[in-house]
Amino acid sequence: MDRHFDEELQTVKRKLVEMAALVEESITKSLDALHKKNEVIANEIRATDHNIDEMEIAIEDTCIELIARHQPVGSDLRFLVGAIKMNNDLERMGDHSVNIADCIKYVAEGPPIAKITNIWSMARIVKEMLRESVESFIHNDAARAQKVCERDSVVDEMRNETIRILLTYMLEEPEKIGSAIQYLLVAKNLERIADLSTNICEDVIYIAQARVIKHHAEEKKA
Amino acid sequence: MKINTTNLNLYYHKFQALKNVNMDVKRNLVTGIIGPSGCGKSTLLRVFNRMNELIEGVRTTGSVLIDNEDIHSPMYDVILLRKRVGMVFQRPNAFPLSIFDNIAYGPRVWNISDRKTLTEIVERSLAAVDLLDVLKDRLHDSALSLSAEKQQRLCIARLLAVEPEILLMDEPCSALDPIATGKIEELMLELKKRYTIVIVTHNMQQAARIADEVGFMLLGELVEFDTAKTVFTNPKDKRTADYISGRFG
Repeated sequence: MDRHFDEELQTVKRKLVEMAALVEESITKSLDALHKKNEVIANEIRATDHNIDEMEIAIEDTCIELIARHQPVGSDLRFLVGAIKMNNDLERMGDHSVNIADCIKYVAEGPPIAKITNIWSMARIVKEMLRESVESFIHNDAARAQKVCERDSVVDEMRNETIRILLTYMLEEPEKIGSAIQYLLVAKNLERIADLSTNICEDVIYIAQARVIKHHAEEKKA
Repeated sequence: MKINTTNLNLYYHKFQALKNVNMDVKRNLVTGIIGPSGCGKSTLLRVFNRMNELIEGVRTTGSVLIDNEDIHSPMYDVILLRKRVGMVFQRPNAFPLSIFDNIAYGPRVWNISDRKTLTEIVERSLAAVDLLDVLKDRLHDSALSLSAEKQQRLCIARLLAVEPEILLMDEPCSALDPIATGKIEELMLELKKRYTIVIVTHNMQQAARIADEVGFMLLGELVEFDTAKTVFTNPKDKRTADYISGRFG
């Protein structure tokens, strides 16, 4: 039997996917603006974040209403709890994108730093992780989500490598410390976006299979 | 606005069952009335098709407008009112007749006797409650042979046959199991596209699931009337908050 409630759950899912697309666009733009040192685009990113914040409030409001009115259980309850957490994670990603955009001004003003290709490789992986986390949510695909979680340590390692490279710059060319710190912040924000993509995937696994994998919960149980 | 009540009071002899009820029922929405037993919700529902008048000693003051017409006006045709405002009861009350004759009963009262027209009405009404495919080869079986849920659907189809505008439902699922209840609820959500529905229910969760707007009644008073979202997430009156959270009632 088709339920009207299913339509409402699908609406939540559709809105989350729309929000994820906006977040992904914001992150792509902020990295592009950083690459080109374009402050105009940085302003656009701040405006987009306002839309993301409004979407977060609207989606949370809908989820609370659906919980109050339908008292969901089982997979419906897991979906709505997961949706609320994913909504929050996406909004935080939007904030990290703004943080990256905020670095542009200082990077543009400071002396250029060469050979930071590591950051762009990291950015590519982080964007792939976000896209894959959203795809796994769309298709309710726990196996696909699991693969994203496994990439988190790769990004952590890349962040550490970036820190090492930038520290070398700072020691060897102290006049570049200001710019190097901004790139450190970019690396930190990218790493947080990867963490949040991982959180989304943990929620996808919870929604699809009722398994809690965060904080190594399953290993501890075993 | 489909129904409006202003300063509505209703007395059973000296007992006041409704106290100064002011309420607007919007067109093509499901309006739910909730509240503990004896709070006056079924009485309020019966005001809308003047069924209370069948009870001795009933006196009503204030106004009840349907499409801006005062239904208590001496000029108002009460038979026509009950055609416009149909009612579904707690237990399915199919007549001991065939499925066809149950649905054709109303149209026949309204002097439709042409067999082809009646067949069209029966089929259209059954289709509207999603029973046509199931029953099209059994139209001349007894309606009483159907399950409780199908009988309740049949009773709704019987109402639709006389082309009402408003459907009043007085605990329409209280005699049904959860699966049958779910099916009737889905039906209501379909029907609201064409009809205005007012449902009285003891089952607060049912009101939360299907109603667009909800009124909470207590001791004859309409304590709160708002969107279902507001009533179930942020009620304004403490009595409503206590009732929906199970602190009393």
